[in-house]
Amino acid sequence: MLYVVLFFTLFSLFLYVLLGGADFGAGIVELFSSSENKKITRDTAYRVMGPVWEVNHIWLIILIVIMWIAFPVYFNVIVIYMHVPITLVLLGITMRGVAFIFRHYDAVVDKSQHLYNWMFRISSFITPVFIGMTFGALIGGKIIRTQDYENFGFYELFMAPWLNTFSLLVGLFYAALCAFLAATLLIGETEGNDRKMYSRKSAYATIVLVVIGFILLVYGYYNEMVFITDFIHNPVSIIAVSFSGILLIPLWKSIRNQSSVWSRWLAGLQVVLILFAAIYAHFPHIIIMAGEELSLLENIAPPSVITNLGIMLLIGGSVILPGLFNLMRSFNMIKIFNKNAN
Amino acid sequence: MENLDFARLQMAFTLGFHIIFACIGMVMPFFMIVSHKKWLNTRDPIYLKLTKAWQKGVAIFFVTGAVSGTALSFELGLLWPGFMEHAGPIIGMPFSLEGAAFFVEALALGFYLYGWDKLPEKFHWFTGVIIGISGVASGILVVSANSWMNAPSGFDYNNGVFSNIDPVKAMLNPAWFTEALHMTLAAFVATSFAVAGVHALQIFRKKQIELHTKAFKIAILFGAVAAILQPISGDLSAKDVAERQPVKLAALEAHYETEKGAPLYIGGIVDEEKKEVSYKIEIPKALSFLAFGDFDAEVKGLNDFPEDELPPVAVVHYAFQIMVGIGTLLMLAGLLYFISLKKKSLLENRKFWLFFIFLAPLGFVALEAGWVVTEVGRQPWIIHGIMKTKDAVTPMPGMKYSFYMYVLLYVVLGITVTWLMNRQIKALNSSKDS
Ligand code: HDD
Ligand code: HEM
Ligand code: HEM
Repeated sequence: MLYVVLFFTLFSLFLYVLLGGADFGAGIVELFSSSENKKITRDTAYRVMGPVWEVNHIWLIILIVIMWIAFPVYFNVIVIYMHVPITLVLLGITMRGVAFIFRHYDAVVDKSQHLYNWMFRISSFITPVFIGMTFGALIGGKIIRTQDYENFGFYELFMAPWLNTFSLLVGLFYAALCAFLAATLLIGETEGNDRKMYSRKSAYATIVLVVIGFILLVYGYYNEMVFITDFIHNPVSIIAVSFSGILLIPLWKSIRNQSSVWSRWLAGLQVVLILFAAIYAHFPHIIIMAGEELSLLENIAPPSVITNLGIMLLIGGSVILPGLFNLMRSFNMIKIFNKNAN
Repeated sequence: MENLDFARLQMAFTLGFHIIFACIGMVMPFFMIVSHKKWLNTRDPIYLKLTKAWQKGVAIFFVTGAVSGTALSFELGLLWPGFMEHAGPIIGMPFSLEGAAFFVEALALGFYLYGWDKLPEKFHWFTGVIIGISGVASGILVVSANSWMNAPSGFDYNNGVFSNIDPVKAMLNPAWFTEALHMTLAAFVATSFAVAGVHALQIFRKKQIELHTKAFKIAILFGAVAAILQPISGDLSAKDVAERQPVKLAALEAHYETEKGAPLYIGGIVDEEKKEVSYKIEIPKALSFLAFGDFDAEVKGLNDFPEDELPPVAVVHYAFQIMVGIGTLLMLAGLLYFISLKKKSLLENRKFWLFFIFLAPLGFVALEAGWVVTEVGRQPWIIHGIMKTKDAVTPMPGMKYSFYMYVLLYVVLGITVTWLMNRQIKALNSSKDS
């Protein structure tokens, strides 16, 4: 059952990064568009993602709930030391969620739309940055786990681990990833000039992503960060990342041909490969602290809890996944399986 | 104040906020599907208009409920890491099921909101039913996690170590049924009276009377039935508390002395220093009867418990009085509504509508008061008899800033949502009937 739990943990993490990411990304693309294109993006994204946008974010809740049930020690470290950035993420999620619903469900359309729009765009950008910073902090090796809170300063324990260049780079990397996902997704949802625009945006996002990724590796390498050196020395991770790099070639071809089906599959696959590489490099020691690494597989909940959770996840999954699939199909969101759409 | 106090305030504030939106998000879908059904049966366009207006309300409340709920699921850990580290695995089962229920709800909402004219009519309506059912299911599941804090079970506890964990037993703890029943009824009472009150106000102001009367009738029907059942369920809860948390019972009744044939206090001012209650009305032997079903049963008083295990008595007692007072009033209002079905002349009386306008916020006041009874009455324990709240709080200093931030955020949000609802109603009133 531990494997079932692990599977669902990774599954919800991947889906949150992909679907939640595309959702954030739509706001980022909107933020970095000319005012005319802002409107196009707003409407297209609403049409495409409206029915599932709420669902996308439940993956985060599922992930958190699995964490606290099955990996309580792990969860404990995260919520104690990442309190500040997580609070900022929550603030961002709240602003974004309500701005989205306000702008689409306000009974009167007037000047307040302007405010909702900007709130939506800005929080769409900031939230993934903070999410990325939290991830960055967890692998950054700066967390000091202690019982002796008096002897350390607030800054040292609760800020320094996440407020640093490395974390910021990871944050920006994730934001670029979101934009890349969204732009690539939107290619298939538009026609003519709009389609060209998203193809261009998707290409820009790819460039930004590759550049930040490269800086991240170089920075980590020269600062001798455990995570990066291990990453570079792990053959499987390197192969996965290289493969995802090689996929750029067909991706660019399909973007140039404005092929929605292929570009989506490729983009999704690339993101999964990158994520896989990052997790594999250090598995199961996913939290890297100053002088200590915390293994996901040690400190797990007792077997009765894991078994119970595994069963619940299997039952829940067998209800939810077909429902989700049907929802997406009914509203034409999965063109991947649709022969007519390129 | 200390870090601990701010953490508690933040928990109370954010939960108090979430519960309002969660209850509305849980109950409004029922109004919506009733109206929708009537539209399908009668093809009266007013019902269609009402359904669509309520649907917007559901969407707005759902999202506000969802984002504040997302914040809460982190917050349990952010504020109480000591609690979650041990309790998380034990009460995980209702939360994982709740996750599934949320998911189903969000999926159904996706189908419903975007399914007009796209899905077959009956199926579309049915997705609305699923929203309602899964909403209530998730409410019941969270409350069962909360009732575990009152009646911890499903594990062995020795020297600070939790072992032999049985998640099913923890979920079906001895308090879950009474608490879930009372809470579900409360959600219906509070939301129905609030919605009915809003429509009563429009009727009172003579705006779109036909539409608002239809809306009022749908909402109040749920409310009246639930309000009449509520005191019965409250009595079950009280008996439960008497058995499992005698110190909480003593606090909510502000009983200091242990007595046989204990009287019930109504009202009264509590002096926690002198340990006495003045200006109260006493009903002889009633408490013994209410708590144990026996006029001569012994009720333990606060003085018989260790000093450091007492909750703040005054707050709990006042909150309890408020809840029961409002509960009685709303039950009478429910009866009044059923009388008005026979005596139609009541509906012409402006005082009738004024009364329901006045009642609009009271259900929610009772609901918040009820939570204060449950949660403050459990203090100083976070898990009754097992773990103290002060041992669970986060070691991170500076909780006051986080508390202020949430207050600011949620106050602004609360105002905005109210303002949006106002705009919905205005739009509804000004639109022409087609
Ligand atoms: C509309 C709201 C509402 C109304 C009218 C009432 N209640 Fe209530 N009550 C709640 C809303 C509520 C609540 C907020 O939903 C609580 C908090 C926890 C729970 O499960 O329900 C609660 C808790 C609660 C508890 C504590 C349970 C515990 O600590 O485990 C008792 C003893 C009562 N109630 C008793 C009553 C009685 C005798 C009522 C008589 C009219 C009454 N309530 C009306
Ligand atoms: C008695 C207390 C509670 C009740 C009755 C309740 C009920 C609900 C309901 C019905 C919803 C669905 C949203 C809607 O329809 O508006 C919801 C949302 C949510 N609640 Fe609560 N809740 C309670 C407390 C909590 C607590 C303590 C947590 C955190 C651990 C929590 C976490 C959530 C989450 C994560 C969501 C969002 C799910 C989504 O995206 O649909 N709730 N709650
Ligand atoms: C939604 C309705 C709820 C409201 C309005 C509410 C209210 C409160 C209040 C007033 C406190 C502060 C008590 C004090 O410190 O004196 C509190 C504490 C707390 N509540 Fe609730 N509560 C609700 C439901 C829940 C649920 C469903 C859970 C868990 C599943 C929960 C878990 C907690 C925890 C962990 C604390 C902090 C520890 C403690 O003070 O015991 N609450 N809540």
